Amino acid sequence: MVTASAMSAPSPSVQSLLRPVVSVGSVNGAPTPLAPQIAIEIDDVDFCYGASKALHDITLNIAARQVTAFIGPSGCGKSTLLRCLNRMNDLIDGARVTDGQIRIDGVNIYDPRVDVIELRKRVGMVFQKSNPFPKSIYDNITYGLRIQGESNKARLDEVVEKSLRGAALWDEIKDRLHESALGMSGGQQQRLCIARAIAVEPEIILMDEPCSALDPIATAKVEELIHDLKKQFTIVIVTHNMQQAARVSDRTAFFYLGKLIEYAETKVIFMQPANAQTEAYVSGRFG
Amino acid sequence: MSATTENRSLGRLPTREALLQKRRGWFFGMSGDQFVKYLFQGNATISIIVLGLITFTIFRDAVGFIPMNHASLAVYRLAGLEYVDIYREQLTTHSTMSRYLASVRAQKLDQLMNKEGLAPAAAMATLAEFDDFANRFADTINEQETLLGSMTDLVTAVKERQTVSEDIMVGKQYLLRAMAGATPERAAELQRAADVLTVEVIDFKAEFQRVLALRPEIAAANTSQVAALKALMAGAPKFADSDLQRRMEKFQGFVQGYCQEVEVTAQKMAAWDQSKPIGWLESFNAFAFGRKWVTASFWQDWYGIIPLLSGSLLIAFLALLIALPLGVAAAVYVNQVARPVEQKIIKPYIEFISAIPSVVLGFFGIAMLGETLRRVSQIPALDWVPGFPMAERLNPTTAACLLALMAIPTIFSLAEDAINNVPRSFKEASFALGATRLQTIIHIIVPAALSGIMAAILLGFGRVIGETMVVLLCAGNRIQTPDLTSGLGVIFQPVHTMTGIIAQEMGEVVRNSIHYRALFMVGVVLFLISLLINWLAQKIVRRYRISIG
Ligand SMILES: Nc1ncnc2c1ncn2[C@@H]1O[C@H](COP(=O)(O)OP(=O)(O)O)[C@@H](O)[C@H]1O
Ligand SMILES: [Mg+2]
Repeated sequence: MVTASAMSAPSPSVQSLLRPVVSVGSVNGAPTPLAPQIAIEIDDVDFCYGASKALHDITLNIAARQVTAFIGPSGCGKSTLLRCLNRMNDLIDGARVTDGQIRIDGVNIYDPRVDVIELRKRVGMVFQKSNPFPKSIYDNITYGLRIQGESNKARLDEVVEKSLRGAALWDEIKDRLHESALGMSGGQQQRLCIARAIAVEPEIILMDEPCSALDPIATAKVEELIHDLKKQFTIVIVTHNMQQAARVSDRTAFFYLGKLIEYAETKVIFMQPANAQTEAYVSGRFG
Repeated sequence: MSATTENRSLGRLPTREALLQKRRGWFFGMSGDQFVKYLFQGNATISIIVLGLITFTIFRDAVGFIPMNHASLAVYRLAGLEYVDIYREQLTTHSTMSRYLASVRAQKLDQLMNKEGLAPAAAMATLAEFDDFANRFADTINEQETLLGSMTDLVTAVKERQTVSEDIMVGKQYLLRAMAGATPERAAELQRAADVLTVEVIDFKAEFQRVLALRPEIAAANTSQVAALKALMAGAPKFADSDLQRRMEKFQGFVQGYCQEVEVTAQKMAAWDQSKPIGWLESFNAFAFGRKWVTASFWQDWYGIIPLLSGSLLIAFLALLIALPLGVAAAVYVNQVARPVEQKIIKPYIEFISAIPSVVLGFFGIAMLGETLRRVSQIPALDWVPGFPMAERLNPTTAACLLALMAIPTIFSLAEDAINNVPRSFKEASFALGATRLQTIIHIIVPAALSGIMAAILLGFGRVIGETMVVLLCAGNRIQTPDLTSGLGVIFQPVHTMTGIIAQEMGEVVRNSIHYRALFMVGVVLFLISLLINWLAQKIVRRYRISIG
C-alpha cells in the first residue's frame, strides 16, 4: 500500500534515485581512502548495553549530502548505531562504545574533550514517534536557538519561516504559528520535528524510522522532503520499509544481529547484492 | 459420534450438557462472583453512608451556632455591655498613651546610662521631671476609671441575672418534659418542683436607666480631663536630644487626637440604641470576620475565626515556602539526575518521613528546634534579620519547619509522579537539539509536569493545614491575628490555629453550648478548605492528563 501511493506521488522514481555515487565507494563495508565528501567515519565500532553486545565491529563511511539508509530486521542494531552518531546513547545507563571510533571532521566524537552539546547541535535527530514539545509551533522551532541564547525576535521569526519552508510546512501552518503543536496532524507533527531539527542548522540529520507512524500520504510528503533536504544536509535514515530505502537513499547498509552485512549503493543492494542474506532480506524471503 | 465418545472417555461432558449446567449458588443462593460483587458494593455503600453521616453531624452541630450567637449578642446589647465597651475603648487609648510615655522614658534612661555613663541613681534624678509629667498624665484618667468600674458592675449584674434566669428556664423545661411519661404521683411531684422555679423576666430598659443616670458625671469627667490635659501639655518637658524631642511632639499629637476621641465617644454613646435588633447576618459575621476569640470570659465571649484562620494560613504558607523548593527539587533530582542506586535510596527515605508520628515531630520541635532557632536568633551578627532575636521559642516558624517536613513526602511523591509522566521523548528531543540537562529540566520537563506539580503543592497545602499535633505543640498557641503590616517579624509571633483550638478546647467544652458549636463551625471551615483544595487539585490533574495526552 505504502509503495503504491508513494509511487503515485510526485516523488522521483526508484531508477532516478539509484544514480551512481562517485567518490565514496566501497563494497561490503571496506572503506576506500578518505575522500572530502565523507561526513562520518565509523571505524570498527563495538557497542554494549551493560553486558550485552549490540554492535560488532561496525565499519562504514557516510557520504556528505547524500541519504544513507540503515536496513535490517528488528533488533539488529540500526537504532543503536544511529544513536551512537550523536551520542544519544549517553542517556542510557550502562550503554557505551567499547571499541573503535566514530569520527566527524576527523574528530573522534567519543574523545573526552568533545563537547556533547556542540556535537548534538551539529548532528540533529528526528525520532520514530513525532515528539513536538507541548508548546506552540513557534516555540517548538525556536527552542534550539533560544537555549543557545538567541533572543532577537526578528532573527527568530526569520528562522521559523526558513525552517518551516525547508520542511515544506510553511504554507500549511503559517497562520497558526502560536497555536499548540499538539493540535497538528501526525504527518505535520513529524515535519515540524524535522523543521525543529533544521532550525539549529545542523550538518547531519539522523532519522529513526521517521515514517513508521504515518499514513501513506504523509509518508510520501516526508520522503519528498528528505529528497530536498539532502541538497543541504547529510542524512542518515533508519527504515524497515525496503521500498522507502530504495526510493529515498543513495547508499544502503544492511545489518543483521549487530553486524554490518553489506554496504553499497542502494541500486547495488537492491539489484545485485553480493551477500546471500542481503539478497534474502531485500527480496522479502527473510525469517 | 466418535468425538462424543472420546470426550466422555476423557471425563468431559457433551457440549449441550456442559452449557446447561450452571451451578446453583453456594452462599445464600449467590455464586462466588455475585458474593464478591455484593461484598464490595456493601463496603463502598457503608463508606459513603459513614462519610455522609459525619458530614451531616458536623454541619448540624455547627449550624446551631448562629442562633446561639445571635442570642448572646442580643444580651450583649440589651444588658448594655456594648455601651460600656464604647466607653472602654476611650480608656484603652489613654493607657496606650501612658505606655508610649513609658517607652520614651526607657529610651532616655538607656541613653543616660549607656551613652553618658550616669549611675542609675543619677539617671533617675535626671528623669524626675519627666516622671512627674508622666504621673500627672496617668492621673488624668482616674475619674473615668471609676465611672467605667461602676458601669461595668451595673451591666454585668444585669447580664448575670439574665444568665441565671435562662438556666432556670432550661431546668424548668426539663422538669416539664419529664412529666410526659411519669406516674401521676411522680408527675405531681415534678409539677411542684417546677412551680417553685420562677423565671425572672428582666426589664432591660428599666435596668439600663441606672447606667444612663451616670451620663452627666461622664460628661463632667470628660470636660475636666480635657482641661487637665491642655494644662499639662503646656508644661510638657523638653528634650535636648532631637529623636526624643520628636517622640515627645508625637505624643502631643496623640493627646490632641485623644481629646477629639473623647468627643466622638460621647457622641457614639449618645447615639447608641439599646433596642436596635441584632441582624442574623451580623451574628454570622461576628464569626466569619470576628477578630476576637475569647471564651469563658466574665464579660462577653467572642467567637471570631479570623485569628485562628490567619494563624493556620500563615503557618501553612510558611511551611509550603520551605517544603516546595525542597520537595520539587528532590523530585526533579531523583527522577532526572540521580543514578538508579541513588533513586533506590532516596525515594524510600523521603517517603519514610511521613511515617514519623506527628507527636514525635512536635516533641522534637519543642525540645530541639524551637530552642535552636532561638539560640541562632540571638547571635548578635544576625540582628538585621526581621524579628530577630525571637521572643518566643514556639512560634509559627518552628511549627512551619516541622510541617514542611511532613509536607515534603506528599509533594515529593506527587511531583515525582508528574515528572515521571512526562514522556521520555520530550527529554530526548530536547537533548538532541543540544540542550543541557538543566535547560531540559527548566524548559521542558518542569513546564510539562507543571499542573501535576501544582496539584502536588495543593495537596501538600491540604496536608499542612489539616495537621493538628505539631501546631498544637509548636505554634505558641496565643490567640492573636498576625499583623502582617508590622513586617516580617510576624512569623516569629506565636499564633493559634483552627486545628489546634479544636483539639485544645473540644475536650473541656460543655456539650451543645455555644462554645461547643463554635468549635464545630471552625471544623466546618477546615472541612470546606480541604474540600476546595482536593477539588482544585483534581481539576488541575484532569486538565494535565488531557494536555499531555
Ligand atoms: N536501552 C536498551 N537497553 C538494553 N538493550 C537495548 C536497549 N535498546 C536496544 N537494546 C538491544 O539492542 C539491540 C539492538 O536494538 P535496536 O538498535 O533498537 O534495534 P533496531 O533499531 O535495529 O530494531 C536489541 O537486541 C535490543 O534488545
Ligand atoms: Mg529501531
